Amino acid sequence: MAPVIEANNLGIQFYRNRKRRISVREILFKGKSTSPKEQFWAVRNATFKVEQGEAVGLVGANGHGKSTLLKMIAGVLLPDEGSVKVRGGVAPLIEITGGFQGQLSARENVYLIAGLHGMSKKEIDAKFDEMIDFAELHKFIDTPFRHFSSGMKVRLAFSVVTALDEPIVLVDEVLAVGDSKFKQKCYNRLDEMMAGGDRTIFMVSHSERNLRRFCTRGLYVRHGEIVADGNIDETLDAYNAYMDTDA
Amino acid sequence: MTLAADPASDRAATRRRTLAVLNLLVRRDIKLRYAGAWLGYGWTMLEPLLMTMVYAFVFGVLLPTRDFAETPYVLYLITGVLAWNWFNTAVNEGMTAVSSEAKIVRSADVPRWIWVARTCTSTMMIFIFAIPVIVAFILWFRHPVSWLIILFPLGIVLQFAFAFGIGLLLSPLAVLAGDVKRLVRVLLRVGFYLTPVLYSLNAVHSRFGDYTALAKLNPIAGSMSLFRAGLWSSDLFAWYFYAAQVVITLLTLALGFWVFKRLEGTVLKEL
Repeated sequence: MAPVIEANNLGIQFYRNRKRRISVREILFKGKSTSPKEQFWAVRNATFKVEQGEAVGLVGANGHGKSTLLKMIAGVLLPDEGSVKVRGGVAPLIEITGGFQGQLSARENVYLIAGLHGMSKKEIDAKFDEMIDFAELHKFIDTPFRHFSSGMKVRLAFSVVTALDEPIVLVDEVLAVGDSKFKQKCYNRLDEMMAGGDRTIFMVSHSERNLRRFCTRGLYVRHGEIVADGNIDETLDAYNAYMDTDA
Repeated sequence: MTLAADPASDRAATRRRTLAVLNLLVRRDIKLRYAGAWLGYGWTMLEPLLMTMVYAFVFGVLLPTRDFAETPYVLYLITGVLAWNWFNTAVNEGMTAVSSEAKIVRSADVPRWIWVARTCTSTMMIFIFAIPVIVAFILWFRHPVSWLIILFPLGIVLQFAFAFGIGLLLSPLAVLAGDVKRLVRVLLRVGFYLTPVLYSLNAVHSRFGDYTALAKLNPIAGSMSLFRAGLWSSDLFAWYFYAAQVVITLLTLALGFWVFKRLEGTVLKEL
């Protein structure tokens, strides 16, 4: 069977200044733009395959390209070099509250976000109660999203995205939020999702415990390149060894 | 992004999904705009009706032009103002479609052009919902309607396609260059006066002769004339002007898609 995720020489460049605002005025009157052009590769030469049912953890220090890599797999960033093929639908647990609209109620947001991720109205109707149950927001179904506490926002978002019945799950650090009771609930939900053995999970985390708990394989990303690919314990050992020498 | 065993059926599924998402977004917009039914409707119609009254006073009473002596000028104005309003908001909102919804654009893997299509469709729906107001004016003035009114829907298609092309072209530029929005707003105001909204090109022809042909290449002048043809058959252009407008519109669409595709990756990084 073909691998569900296939990255081939994947690379993406960013400008060193975060906001690179060019202006028409400048181009018209000076004939060129003076905005900084210095770029760096956030991810480069990333080549790997993930088979169905694998649980892969991305390991690496802050700012070394883990989330960028995950976003390219999710299709919300486009590579400048190489390609990534994803076979099957994706449930992206990445910046999960991002798409939620402050002025809309919890109910309207559920329909909007689940719809955006490809659920039909009928499917949402069927799963609506379950989503609200999981997020424990019965009393707030018609409350505007902006009035929610940050914990409530994440609960609702996590609940909606994990209700997507997709074969590939991408997780970016979302497990670090919420109170310990809800965190436990999220872990259980992920365990349930993984139980069948045919879902593929791709996870970014700084928590060694979570990585060892959920993942079997680890990719170590350093300065945008994959420097180790093996079982999760080996990868974490390599990462720790490097961080120790660095410090 | 998804690749299944059968690419053809998979593409069809993707297209269905894309249309479902577009439908969802447009419904959301309409619902928000017309919340409270009549109140929302009245609020939406307030600006075009007020502006029509202002234009009618300035150009129909203060500076009356002879050509409108027998035409109910208010009816002529309201069709033009509503149509221009659609184009104006479609371009303004289409241009900011990606930047103003940055967070949601960044979080969902749907074809990005959908955000521009959404604003064009929502603003088109506002225009369509305003048709009863035009009908009310027709009835009020007992203005005759000819069979040429069947051209009205063609005007909608032409204007939608042109606005969509412009939106696709501008929305990535508006993300990358800060002052594009301001520039476009100025150009739109110029466009308003170059487009026969307040006047008829027949009046222009009597003074500028064949140069009027230039104004007739404008696709919005075209949609305007298609909207009005059933009410004033003299507003109809020769067929080749429409052919030229269609070509210009298709070129704009092609350029829009090309620019949008080329800048998509860069735009996503900047959001």
